[in-house]
Amino acid sequence: MNIALFVAIPLGFAFISILHKKLAPILLIAASLFIIVGLSFVQNGETVIGGFEAPYGIHLLMDSYRLTALYIVNILFLSVVLLNIRKYHQMSTVLLISLTGLNGLIMTGDLFNLFVFLEISGISAYLITSTNKNPLASFQYLVAGTVGSSLYLFGLILLYAMFGSLNLADLSMQVSQLTDKTPVLLPFLLMFLGLGVEVKLLPLNSWVKGILKDANTLSGPMIASVYAAAMSLVFGRILIDLFVFEGRFIVIVSTILLVSILAGEAMAYQSKNVKEILLYSSVAQAGLVVLLFVSGLASWALFMVMANAISKMILFTIIASASEENGDDITVLQGIFTNNKLIGFSFTIASLSVIGLPLFMGFVVKMNALNHLFGEQMFLAIIAILLASVVEGIYFVRLLLHLWTPSETTVTFDIRMKAVLFALAVMLIVFGITVEPIESLKDTIEIGLNVGGTSWRI
Amino acid sequence: MANIELLILITLSLGLLSYVLYHFSPRLSSALTILGSFFVFGSVLYHGYIGSFDVSSTLLPYVSFSSSALSIFFAVIITFTYAMVSLFNPYFLKTHKAGNVHNLLFLSTLAFVLGVLFTNHFMTMFFFFEAVVWTSLFMIPLKGSKSAAIMYYRFSAFGSFALLGAIFLLKANSGTFLITESLAVVDGAHQLVIFILLVVAGMAKLGAFPFHIWLPEVLGKAPDHTSALFSGGLEKLGAFIIVFALVRVAPVGATFAAIDLAWSRYAVAILGALTIVFGTLMAIRQDDAKKLLAYSSMSNGGYMLVAFSLMNSISVMGGLYHVLAHALASVAAFLAIAAVARQTNTTKMSELGGMIHKMPITYMVYLIAIISMAGIPPMGGFISKWLIFQAVINKGLIFVAVAVFFGSVGSFLYVFRPLAALFLGQELPQYKKTLKEAPSLMLLAMLILSVLNIFTGVFPTPILKVINTVIVEMGMNEVVLTTFTIEGFNGLLHPGLIALVFMVGVFVAFVIFISLKKSKKVGLMDTYTAGNFIYTEELMHYSVDFYAPLERLYEKYIDIARNVYRSLDHKIKEFARLIKYFIFTYKPEITAFWVVLILILFLWGDIA
Repeated sequence: MNIALFVAIPLGFAFISILHKKLAPILLIAASLFIIVGLSFVQNGETVIGGFEAPYGIHLLMDSYRLTALYIVNILFLSVVLLNIRKYHQMSTVLLISLTGLNGLIMTGDLFNLFVFLEISGISAYLITSTNKNPLASFQYLVAGTVGSSLYLFGLILLYAMFGSLNLADLSMQVSQLTDKTPVLLPFLLMFLGLGVEVKLLPLNSWVKGILKDANTLSGPMIASVYAAAMSLVFGRILIDLFVFEGRFIVIVSTILLVSILAGEAMAYQSKNVKEILLYSSVAQAGLVVLLFVSGLASWALFMVMANAISKMILFTIIASASEENGDDITVLQGIFTNNKLIGFSFTIASLSVIGLPLFMGFVVKMNALNHLFGEQMFLAIIAILLASVVEGIYFVRLLLHLWTPSETTVTFDIRMKAVLFALAVMLIVFGITVEPIESLKDTIEIGLNVGGTSWRI
Repeated sequence: MANIELLILITLSLGLLSYVLYHFSPRLSSALTILGSFFVFGSVLYHGYIGSFDVSSTLLPYVSFSSSALSIFFAVIITFTYAMVSLFNPYFLKTHKAGNVHNLLFLSTLAFVLGVLFTNHFMTMFFFFEAVVWTSLFMIPLKGSKSAAIMYYRFSAFGSFALLGAIFLLKANSGTFLITESLAVVDGAHQLVIFILLVVAGMAKLGAFPFHIWLPEVLGKAPDHTSALFSGGLEKLGAFIIVFALVRVAPVGATFAAIDLAWSRYAVAILGALTIVFGTLMAIRQDDAKKLLAYSSMSNGGYMLVAFSLMNSISVMGGLYHVLAHALASVAAFLAIAAVARQTNTTKMSELGGMIHKMPITYMVYLIAIISMAGIPPMGGFISKWLIFQAVINKGLIFVAVAVFFGSVGSFLYVFRPLAALFLGQELPQYKKTLKEAPSLMLLAMLILSVLNIFTGVFPTPILKVINTVIVEMGMNEVVLTTFTIEGFNGLLHPGLIALVFMVGVFVAFVIFISLKKSKKVGLMDTYTAGNFIYTEELMHYSVDFYAPLERLYEKYIDIARNVYRSLDHKIKEFARLIKYFIFTYKPEITAFWVVLILILFLWGDIA
């Protein structure tokens, strides 16, 4: 199977869907299903587009890391689509475009091509958030996102001027051969900041609040789970393959990450509004994931992205759905689980997994990451993770106790939503109990990683 | 049931079964809980005693067990607490908001506690610890106090993650997660950090100063019988961790030559002493009987800290015996208060009085329990305190000695107040008609506890012999015991003889009491009001402001620890607001500003 189809099919369907509006939702589901099925037929390797060999032409790559990333993103994407397609069927074309962008982002081996996909997925994200009915916030997201991609582009231009190449593998090799690495740090910083906007790192993430605070069942999980997963995986890949860390760049990056984690948790701790709690929590999670990537724990970072994406999908969908009528103050939503045990169960598992409690996927990931960090004696990172876990635990306990305490509030949840979210929650348990699939996947991923960049110790 | 894994699984499934059964018959569900708790206690006691535990693990993945004298000792105490409290369950569930989950949570915590005590792997222990926290957490708000549950979690989580940090450091140090192996080789640069983390974890779970804030909150606001469970059972898990840190890890840091004690241990002993003093002072102030007992639990936790930090056979024996004696006494006291509160719906001493007229047995149970808590012969608390006193004085720890004696004297002051205010005195008119003695199952539990409270004081040597095996297992010399005596640093103790003398004294007092003239009964309102109307007769209750002159000495300082945590909470929130103000402003230009600032920082010329 040619992996270019994963980009071409949704793009092609998007054009068709403009001509046949009624067909659009069906095309969307068909494209999404096609990709998920198709993923089991792909082989590792590269696909050259247009006959120009790398490093001169654009090419798409496939390895275990990218395959896992595609599975995560596409399965979650399909879940979000299936839950929302009736209500938001007019968004089908946009969603097809965003599917194109996300898959392209993950697979491309060319940094300029990556920019193009960044813009494609970005524009569709702005359109998806327009369903929040808060145009100002969407506009700010657009501005912030554009600033981010311009910074990325700026960094890329500098790299191109230095090395005359846009190919990830080629650049990675050339950078690693440099004896004095100082000149490449500026472009790296620009790219770090640019991608940091999308990955929600402080202080570049002010757009998140406006977007996720009014999020509905489509935009909430789409931005917080699917987009967050895709962006951090792409970012992580660049960090692992290309980036080198030296001198002041280390200070800046580690400050950004530690502040992201601690401030994210503190802000979630301070909030009284459920969606705000979740969005600030996801800021902290994003910092944590990038921290793992820069520490060289690529595969555990990948699994953390996966665990977080599943959890956030559950959390945001439930809260977005419950707050549609009542608003999302913590006291208003009290007792919504009393009559919705299954939903409550899924929500509880998702939050416990985020805190990193045993039996759930988050635990396996956090423990292994911590084990590595302790082995490397990276105590600042360890303290940040442990402190974050304590604070995280406190606000989630507060949330859970409120939501479980019996009250008069009655909220009804869609039966399909119950089923999908429950299945995802079960997935968190399965990966939390049986470690073998993760372990074996980890080994294959690490074989495929072309580690050209360097990690460092915080 | 000799297999620990099966025991845990059976307890868990009984919990699920009791949850299902509750929807058909709450009574049957409670009966099943009682049966399950006694079954677990019986199994632990029997197989622990004859040493026939089967530690093989075939069903649960990644889990392995081992059994040691220490874990059996703790397991017997905690499962016994569960068994006793389970007899109270049926009478309290109706008042709960979600009574149906209570039995499930009750049995689950029991199963997980067994896991904590018997696993030989640190990660498994962390798992079971977290499971205990999360299941017991939801037992607290069953009568409505969410804030107490959150408070409990704050400190528990802090303790848990300190434990996790210690576990990973031990792993990095020794290359293994196995408990015995990794504790045996604690050395190197991380030695002190490991020690501190383990002590912090234990102290947070035990509720010792400065991590004590949660204890009165939880014990005071949890459902009445659940408080007994926390005080006698779950809090003791903290002591279990403390034993790890203080007895099983070799001493850390330089040694004070004069007292032959590592300074790190001395620091813990001082913290233990402070725990005793602060717990006692706070207990004296309380009007709520449960809060009073909660602070008393805190101060008794201090005794355990002091005992384990001294690191000799007598003190460790005293500490372990205190775990047992305090569990028995505090469970009995909490259950007696629960028996009263079940009918009166209050635990405030100023609203109660004269309960002895209708609840004489409960009164006796409480009396015996507090005698033990105050460390007066012939109850169990005396034996353990005697051992601890000896060890402290023998070491020459003056400050600590002052604290432990202060704690004992102070406990006279506070434990007798509920006795006088709650049980003695005139019968209050509002309870005159409705009040009855506690039902038979509750009486059974309380009587068993009372008998044991006396037994542990009169004839402690069989139990001390068991403790001797624990001490030998941990690599210390055993304490010399005969059938009736204990040999301490400064002579023999003969508990039976002391009890006999005590009984003679009581008999003489009793003879005097019945031979003298009976007291005259007067009406409650027949007081010295001198023509005034009394609007709030509670204020006339003599237990109101009982120790006011003493309290005045320190009432300005009681909130310091709480305020420290409160301002920590505020600081976190302020930090969050700061970030929100400067970064999360809905304004993209702020983002641009930060980007520019970071670039300037990066491109700035070398400072040197």
